[in-house]
Amino acid sequence: MTDFSHIVQFFFSGLTSGSMYALIAVSLVIVYKVSLLICFAQGEFFVIGALAMVTLVSKGLPMPLAFVLSILISTVLGALVQRMLIKPIQNAGIGNLIVMTIAISLTLRGAALLVWGKESHILKPFSSGAPIPVLGATLQPQVLWIISITIVVLIMIWIFFEKTKLGIAMRACAENRLGASLMGISTDKAALLAWAWGSGIGALAGMAVAPLLFMQYGSGVMPMVKGFIAVSIGGLSSIVGSVVAGLLLGTVEAYTIGLISSKFSDTIVFSLLMVVLIFKPSGLFGKG
Amino acid sequence: MKLLKQFWWILPLAFIAFYPVTLAGGSPYWSGLLIFVGIYVILTVGLDLLMGYTGQISVGHAAYFAIGAYASGILTAKYGFSPLGAMVIGMVLTGIVAWALGRPVLALKEYYLAMATLAFNEIVVTLIIGLEWLTGGASGLRDIPSFSIFGLVLSNHVHYYYFVWAIVIIVIACSLAVVRSPFGRTLVAIHSDEVAARAFGVDTAKYKTRIFVLASVFASMAGSLFTHYMGFLAPDDFGVLTSINILVMLFLGGIGTIFGPILGAFFMKLLPELTYQIHDYELLLSGLILIIVLVFMPKGLFGIFTAIWEKMFAKADK
Amino acid sequence: MKKFFVLIILCSVFVIFTGVGPIMAQTKAPYKIGGIFPLTGYLSWLGEYKKKGSELKVELINKAGGINGRQLELVVYDDQSSPETGSRVAQRLVSKDGVIAMIGTASVPISGAVASIGNRYKIPTIIGSGYEVDSKKDHFVFNSAHKTDFAVERPFEYFKGKGITKVALLMPIGPLGELGGGLARKYAPKYGITIVGEERFDVKAPDITAQLAKLRTLGPQAVFSFCTGEPAALVARSMAQLGMNIPVLVSHGNANPGFLKLVSNVNIPILVPAGRAAAPESIPDNDPCKRVILDFNKAHQQKFGEPANYYSAEMVDAVDIIAAALKVVPTADGEKLQDAIEKTKGLVGMNGIYNFSTTDHHGTVLQDMMVLTVKDGKWQVLLK
Repeated sequence: MTDFSHIVQFFFSGLTSGSMYALIAVSLVIVYKVSLLICFAQGEFFVIGALAMVTLVSKGLPMPLAFVLSILISTVLGALVQRMLIKPIQNAGIGNLIVMTIAISLTLRGAALLVWGKESHILKPFSSGAPIPVLGATLQPQVLWIISITIVVLIMIWIFFEKTKLGIAMRACAENRLGASLMGISTDKAALLAWAWGSGIGALAGMAVAPLLFMQYGSGVMPMVKGFIAVSIGGLSSIVGSVVAGLLLGTVEAYTIGLISSKFSDTIVFSLLMVVLIFKPSGLFGKG
Repeated sequence: MKLLKQFWWILPLAFIAFYPVTLAGGSPYWSGLLIFVGIYVILTVGLDLLMGYTGQISVGHAAYFAIGAYASGILTAKYGFSPLGAMVIGMVLTGIVAWALGRPVLALKEYYLAMATLAFNEIVVTLIIGLEWLTGGASGLRDIPSFSIFGLVLSNHVHYYYFVWAIVIIVIACSLAVVRSPFGRTLVAIHSDEVAARAFGVDTAKYKTRIFVLASVFASMAGSLFTHYMGFLAPDDFGVLTSINILVMLFLGGIGTIFGPILGAFFMKLLPELTYQIHDYELLLSGLILIIVLVFMPKGLFGIFTAIWEKMFAKADK
Repeated sequence: MKKFFVLIILCSVFVIFTGVGPIMAQTKAPYKIGGIFPLTGYLSWLGEYKKKGSELKVELINKAGGINGRQLELVVYDDQSSPETGSRVAQRLVSKDGVIAMIGTASVPISGAVASIGNRYKIPTIIGSGYEVDSKKDHFVFNSAHKTDFAVERPFEYFKGKGITKVALLMPIGPLGELGGGLARKYAPKYGITIVGEERFDVKAPDITAQLAKLRTLGPQAVFSFCTGEPAALVARSMAQLGMNIPVLVSHGNANPGFLKLVSNVNIPILVPAGRAAAPESIPDNDPCKRVILDFNKAHQQKFGEPANYYSAEMVDAVDIIAAALKVVPTADGEKLQDAIEKTKGLVGMNGIYNFSTTDHHGTVLQDMMVLTVKDGKWQVLLK
């Protein structure tokens, strides 16, 4: 009975979780690249995006419309948070900024609890369809959606940051803050946009993944931690690196579960993370 | 008036000393509450030494809390060790772990350091859950005896309260001594500019590791105190969320002040008392309060306290 | 003579007033019972059911005149799904609110923390989780939930009847998984079952097909996954995704309408052990519990718009047990109350007929547990 279907299944399992980690990692890196801040509240945008879509769909809106509206809601929310809460203390120490994002995370989660309650909510997959059989293993169609969305996001980011004036300006901000402001580029506007991008993509990740999970107010914590791990492995400065790291993380996790131990897979993954951090501190793809 | 300024600390000390009889009215509930507060003060003060003075971000302080707690729990409940002995063993164990981790981990910067500390916290928790035969796993460790010193059992709340707070005061005094010593001043120098400190010939890694060990050993002590009070241990109480709570207490109270963390611990542990009727709102409220403190009172509650104090004495000195 | 009579009258009046005062205060002062439920945190979805069930039962008892002429008062606190908070609020109930008994908690670690307090302060505590009560060490603790053993033995009995001998374990990381795994291995030999393999999974994971694929290579005829709610639905759905058309046994915590919704389009056989309260229509009419369940369901439906369920049942019975013991011990003295509860026999509750003893603090028996399956969005009884 040496069929290797289970080995293939491990790969698909890794792809499923990895695609989620990758998208969240991208949202974290975008915010970091421009404002040098890792947002601990990203998990909350993830959840709010997903739950907003659930509510809109349950009110009768067609899925694509609910999709777009939810992204808009989260983007606006992210921008508001940046303007009202991050900007006022942007010159405080990094510790204060980290704790502020933690405070924002607590507040948004607390608000989500009041708005959506404690039960879990289900979102239908974007396309109906049976799991796709490949080489004896199966993959949920929703995963293809997640991957496609990630690719689209990457393309959009590339176009924006390489081809548009605003994007190039934002990149300048990230690379040299003082220089950029001397050139008349508004660092404030750049930070605001970065947060908007970040929260929008975070929400996108939530909506894309929601059909696979059961979303409730506290569901954002684990994806965020995994996103952090991916970013730490991939390096804070590389968007593509974080995507690769996310997929890598998912795959390593799945193969560890399948081939080594499902009981200690988290211990092993976190230990690997520490090893990467200690021996290659700027991440596998980052520059020192 | 001048006397008051110099000896202001006698007031809070007296408060702590007489609390069980005055406000607590002999009730085990209120004494119990302050026991939890005391334990978290130790945790938060330790973190202040590490983060506030030396500038090393730790989002996984609960890991050392856990090691001390489980060392005490396992040795006393399963192997009949004396609580005092178990606590000391826990402290030594934690110290060794912190020492081993110190150099490689503390060499990391900012976010990477934060991630490494978070990762270690998770490793400790997943190991506690995975090694069920030793730790009771996720279901928990039961039948942990009360603390006793050489046969004197401290099962009475009020007795344990005094024991815990005696240790808290020793920890605070210790921390103040460290902070005001040349060692402490070097730590602050490392915080403000590590490269410069190294240029001056300071072995920054050694200093950082030492304070890390101290903070972790404090956390281990807090863990042992926690264990014997609860009588029961579960990994749920030692995860990253707990580490984040300690961080919040630190910032709320006022980072880099030693006294700030005390206020922070008091506030966060007593907040549920005010909100227990509206428990659903507690999460939201704690977030909002923290935001308000960070935006309007960056020096934390202690900052407000000292500001008022200064004003009072400025008037008097005229 | 006159003076003597006046003296007697004065004394009697004095005695009456001073005697009546405290007696009146007693008849007015309610019996305070503490309720510790997870109203926030990861267990919050079932905490609400437990709270509603206990509050309604207390209300019904009070409407019927209370116990010994005194009303019952339920003081409810949120344990936030955390053992530390559970311990803290238990302390509060005992020292500040002065409760005479406690009920609640929904997970093994939280029950452990609260049990510790109950034993320390000699306050009878009736929990409702998988926590196994050691009647010697946990002298003051009782458990109105069915012993978790039943939730494993009866389904295994069903498996034996169907010729299923190879079972794979897919346990969640956490107390439920540990409990389920341990019990599965304990009872497997008794029912001729071989455990072919065991894997663990993180309940928050987006995908568990890796673990299932690995287990599938071992040729199981059924999967046992002792988890509740979304994780159970995830297991069932993942098995369907992999085309594993074999029965999956989940925990008895899934015997609620919410779970039916979660698995509404999953087509593999799902087995859920449950007490009678989950499927009242299937109870024979001569079963004394049927009346109790139907009556309570009616009141619950009236007040909350939905019938009671398996979770509410545990707490309803807990209140009943305390109320019955109070009738025997009106002073509500801790030790005497504990003794009265321990001597309780034949108490007809929603979960079964309780018979406690010095060696049994659970009170229910194996036959109180049925095995249900999901069919067309409804419960169907497989094994009575």
